[in-house]
Amino acid sequence: MMAKLWRQRLTYLAMSVFVVWQTLAMVVAPAPGSSDLAKGLRTVLDPYLHFLRLDNQWNFFAPDVGEEGRDPLGIVLRYVIEDDAATLHRFDPGAGLNWWHPSSIWFRAWYLALLDSPDDFGVQFAALFCREHAALHPVTITLYAAEQKDYGPLDRLRGKQPLDAEFVKVTTVKSFPCPP
Amino acid sequence: MSALDISARAGRKAFAAAEQAWSRLWFQERPTTPLELVRIGIGAALLLHYLSASSYLLEFWGDGGLLPRALALPHLDPWMQSVFFYFTAPWQWIAFDALFLFCCAAFTVGWRTDWVKWIVLIGQVSFAYRNDFLIYGVDKILAALLLILCLAPVGRAISLDRVRAVRRAKRARLDAVLPRYSGRWAGACTRLMQIQMAVLFFYSGTTKLQGQEWWNGDALWLVFSSEEYYNGLLLDLFARAYWLVNIATYGTVLIELAYPFLIWQRATRPYLLAAAILLHVQFAVFMGLFYFSFVMTMGHLSFVRIEWLRRLGAAWKRAIGDMEMIYDGKCGFCVRSMVWFLAFDGLQQIRVRDFRKNPSPVVSDAQMEKALYLVLPDGRALPGFEAYRYAVLRVPGLWWQIPLFYVPVFSRLLGHPIYNWVAGNRGWLSSILLRRRRS
Repeated sequence: MMAKLWRQRLTYLAMSVFVVWQTLAMVVAPAPGSSDLAKGLRTVLDPYLHFLRLDNQWNFFAPDVGEEGRDPLGIVLRYVIEDDAATLHRFDPGAGLNWWHPSSIWFRAWYLALLDSPDDFGVQFAALFCREHAALHPVTITLYAAEQKDYGPLDRLRGKQPLDAEFVKVTTVKSFPCPP
Repeated sequence: MSALDISARAGRKAFAAAEQAWSRLWFQERPTTPLELVRIGIGAALLLHYLSASSYLLEFWGDGGLLPRALALPHLDPWMQSVFFYFTAPWQWIAFDALFLFCCAAFTVGWRTDWVKWIVLIGQVSFAYRNDFLIYGVDKILAALLLILCLAPVGRAISLDRVRAVRRAKRARLDAVLPRYSGRWAGACTRLMQIQMAVLFFYSGTTKLQGQEWWNGDALWLVFSSEEYYNGLLLDLFARAYWLVNIATYGTVLIELAYPFLIWQRATRPYLLAAAILLHVQFAVFMGLFYFSFVMTMGHLSFVRIEWLRRLGAAWKRAIGDMEMIYDGKCGFCVRSMVWFLAFDGLQQIRVRDFRKNPSPVVSDAQMEKALYLVLPDGRALPGFEAYRYAVLRVPGLWWQIPLFYVPVFSRLLGHPIYNWVAGNRGWLSSILLRRRRS
């Protein structure tokens, strides 16, 4: 009888400790980590948060939605393939993605990763794109970042589009030779 | 009485009151039904999502794909683990993916939920860490909700596990009623999921307050004019009536900030729940964020009150009316079929009557010798295949059979002869079953 009572109490205590721990993890994970308290708690919670993939900032479209250079929302990958006759072929890989398929989100995410770290991922992408356009006999591929600039309601009323040349700043990212 | 006694008694009282409040906050006896709805929705979403990912498995998550292991590992610390880090041959990726998809399907229908849920969690975390560049909001919220579902005693309602438990009880006695599961840990896990959703909205709202575009009321214009979420129709409308952008921007922030504070009160919960779900429906429709919006909506379902679900169930039962299934209690095969059928009747809409022990005033014994009958609320009696067909549409647990019973022409064309053959041979089928059980 006593053993059962103690077991119940211990179970209750364990459940209480866990709900406190989990709540702490949920609240601390997205909190700004600048205070000493937050830093101390993070030291204890980090292994748990990382192991279970709970270390999330719930900052959807925030604080800035599409500020140039600070948010990847308005950056588009483009590339130009030069064939063996030195002809240039321009491509906008995002335009061909199927909006209804989750792969469109993965590819977009990948394009942004590529623009952020062309030295890390460029070789794989060059191989992928060159393979895709093998019929063109590609020799080199050059990646470009098209950053969206201010586009307002008046521009819309004038019949302009957000990706028209005047609203996009294109910068060269890197060139790669196509694998043979 | 000494001052020490008085203060000890006051301390005990205060401790008891605190413990009671703590129990009321966390450990109220609750059924798992809201969590089961979350389980079904999240399981189905994961299944569809990763089914469509299968064709990209090696390209995105394989060692020979876009992110070789050597490039993935430097971004992670030792606590960030993925089963894919330990695979060496492509068949291992494919085998794990097949197991993961199978477990997602089993999780959705609630089959062996106690262990498949852990494989679903391991799979989700493994996919996320193997290629951290691909994850976005939905993967984050999924990891958080899945962990809570894994800790919760899900699978106790609206599941095949429940069907199996009811079936076991009904095999002993056909009219047995298995009590609904409810427990204190189910209450704690429901509360954890509610807190998770409130925390998410709180941070989402407060981080928006740090952004100039959200203060200016321009944020939604920027979202819809970006290449990723471009929506020409909305931009045309917004360009002509820009005040709509301001309203939508401030409305989004207002809902996100109000939600964590007003979702707890009985009076305001329905409005906040409706507003949050409406917000996500708009994300799905206008921004194409179907998966994210669906998963978020599932998370909001943790706030659905059990009384609402009970009222909904009672209203459904009232609308459909009372049904009585009359069967042949001497036929082992018929009883076994009835056990299967009734195990799916979670709302207990169908009463049963063994015509051998308790003859029906509506259907004669001679009719009953030929087929099973379903007596409807209006007194009509439907025989055999038509009885099943009628019930399948009206008993939510049997809705998965609708495609079988309601294919135009074919269902009746094949259903009647199959039923009549089974009914005509039920004595022989029963003896086979009996022999199998004995052996």
